[in-house]
Amino acid sequence: MKINPTISSLSIVLCWLIRSWALVGGLLLMIVVVINVVSNVGSAAWGKPFAGDFELTEIGVAVAAFCFLPYCQLTGSNVSADIFTAKASAQMITVMAFFGNLTAFVFSLLLLWRMYYGLLDQKSYDYTTTILQFPHWIAFIPILISLVLLAVAAFLNLTGVKANS
Amino acid sequence: MAEPLLIGSAGLACLFALIALRVPIAYSMILVGGIGVSILNGPAIFMSQLKTLAYGQFSIYDLSVVPMFVLMGNIATRAELSGDLFRAANAWLGRMRGGVAMATIAACAGFGSVCGSSLATASTMGKIALPELKRYGYTGSLATGTVAAGGVLGILIPPSVVLVIYAIIVEANIVTMFKAALIPGLIAVVFFLIAIRIFVYVHPEAGPRGDPVSRQELISATLRLIPVLTIFGLVIGGIYFGFFNPTPAAAIGVFLVWAYGSARRLLGWQAMRDAILETARTSGMIYLILLGAEMMKIFMSRGGVPQAIAEWMVASGLSAMVILGILLLALILLGCLMDSLSMILLAIPFFWPVLVTINGGDYVSAEDAAYGMTSEDLKIWFGILALIVVELGLITPPVGMNVFVISALAKDVPMRDTFIGVIPFFGAEMVRIIVLLAFPAITLWLPSVLSG
Repeated sequence: MKINPTISSLSIVLCWLIRSWALVGGLLLMIVVVINVVSNVGSAAWGKPFAGDFELTEIGVAVAAFCFLPYCQLTGSNVSADIFTAKASAQMITVMAFFGNLTAFVFSLLLLWRMYYGLLDQKSYDYTTTILQFPHWIAFIPILISLVLLAVAAFLNLTGVKANS
Repeated sequence: MAEPLLIGSAGLACLFALIALRVPIAYSMILVGGIGVSILNGPAIFMSQLKTLAYGQFSIYDLSVVPMFVLMGNIATRAELSGDLFRAANAWLGRMRGGVAMATIAACAGFGSVCGSSLATASTMGKIALPELKRYGYTGSLATGTVAAGGVLGILIPPSVVLVIYAIIVEANIVTMFKAALIPGLIAVVFFLIAIRIFVYVHPEAGPRGDPVSRQELISATLRLIPVLTIFGLVIGGIYFGFFNPTPAAAIGVFLVWAYGSARRLLGWQAMRDAILETARTSGMIYLILLGAEMMKIFMSRGGVPQAIAEWMVASGLSAMVILGILLLALILLGCLMDSLSMILLAIPFFWPVLVTINGGDYVSAEDAAYGMTSEDLKIWFGILALIVVELGLITPPVGMNVFVISALAKDVPMRDTFIGVIPFFGAEMVRIIVLLAFPAITLWLPSVLSG
C-alpha cells in the first residue's frame, strides 16, 4: 500500500510529539525526585522539610504516569501473553493486534470524555490538596492531553502508519 | 442471588480468553472489568466512577516508589556499576573452581540491590559476565545458565518493583515486606553458589579456575565496591531503620546512582534520554495494568467471586498446607505463561482471600490459626513464597524471559543449552522454597527484630 507523503510526515510529527510528551513526564518524575531528596536532606540537615512533599509526589507521579501512556502504546510496550498464539499465522496476529489497538483507542476516548467531566467536578467543588491548596483540576489538564495522545498513538497503530523511531 | 457470581465467573473466563488471544493484559482487564461493572452496577455508576478512578489510582502515594525504582534501575544499567561489581566478586571468588560463575551470581545479587527488575539484572550482568566466562573456558550452558538464574535474584533483594505491587494489593506494609525479603534473598545467593560448587564437582571441566590475583588487585577491586555499598546502605538501610519512607529513599537512590554515573562521565544527554524513555515504557505498562486490575477488582468483588472461591476451598476439606501447596503450584504454572507482574496482579486478589479464610480470618490469634501465625504474618510469608515461585517462570520453558534475554546476548550458545544450564539453579530454588515453607521464621524473623 502506498502511503500519502503528507500523512506520512504528519505521522512522523505525531510520533515525535508522543515521545517528547513522555520525556516531559520523565522530567516531571525527576523534579519529584529532586523535591524528595531536598525535603529529606533538608529535614535531616536543618530540621525543616519541604512543605507538602507528599502531595507534590502524588500529583507529580500521577501526571507523569499519564504522560508515559501514549509512548507506551506507540512502542507496543503493553505486555501480552504470546505463548498461546505462538503458532498463529501472521494474518491472525494482525487481526488480534487490531483488536487490542481498537480497545485502546475506544478506551482512551471514553476516559477522555469522562475525565473531562472529572475536571469540571474538581473545579466546581474547588477540590485542592490539604497543605499547598493546589487545585486538583490543574493536574487534569496534562492528563487530558495525555489521553488525546493515547488515542492518537492507538490510531497510528491501527492504521499502521507509523514512523520508525 | 447467584446471578452476580455467574456473571463474575463468566467474566473471568472471558478475561482468560482475551489474554490467550494476545490482547494486552491491561486492556483485557479494562475491557472485562469495565463491561462487568456496567452490567452488575449499571452503566451510570461506572461512568461516574471513571471520572476520577484513574487519577485516584495513579496518585496512590505508595505507588510513587515504583517509577522511581524503575528509573534507578535504568540509570544503574547505564552507569557501569555492573563492571565494578563483577571485578570485585571475581577477585575474591575467581580462583576457585567454578569461581567465575560464582562471581557472576554474587555480582547479580549486588546489581539486584540497586535494580528492581530481573530482566534488567540478567541482561546488564550478562553483557559483562558472559565474555569473561567464555574467556576462562566455561561451558556455554553453565555460563548462560548462571547469568539467566542470577537475574532472578533481583526480585527479592530490595528494591523490588513486584514486591511493592504485592504489598499494595494485600495492603501490607511495604517496609515490612522489604525487611522480610532480605534473608530469603541471601539464602538464594548461598544456594546458587552451592549449586555451582556441586555442579563443577561433578563436571570439573565445565568451570575451570580463574587467574590468581595479587593482594594489590584484590584491595583495589574491593575498594571500588564502596559506591554500590553506599547506595544500597543508604537506600535500604534508610528504609530498614526508619530514616526514610520508601519513596524518599528511592529518590535518594536515583540521585546517588545518577551522581555515580555522572562522575564517571557516562550519563550524557543521550544516555539519560534513553533511561527516561525506557522508564516511560515500563512505568506506563505497570500503571495501565494497575488500572485494569482495579477495574477487575471492583467487578470481581461485586460478583463475589473471590469469596466464593475461598468458601469452596474451605469446604473442600483439604488441609491448610495442601491448599497452600496448590496455590503455589498454580502460581508456578501460570508464571510459565505470563510475566510475573501481571501474574501477581491477576492471581493474588483471588488467592489471598482463600488463605485468610482458611487461616481463620483477619484477626485470628497465632495459636488458633491454621498456619500457626497471624494473618498479618501470613501475608508476609505467603508474599515471599509467591514472589519466588512466579519468578521461576522466568527461567523455565516455555516463556523463560531471562533465558530469552541471555540467548539473545550469547548467540553461540543454543537456547536449549541455556535451559539445561539453568537446571541446577532450578533445583536450588526448589530446595529454597521447601526450606522457607518448613521454617516460616526465616522470613518473619528480620521484620520482627527491626520493628522497634
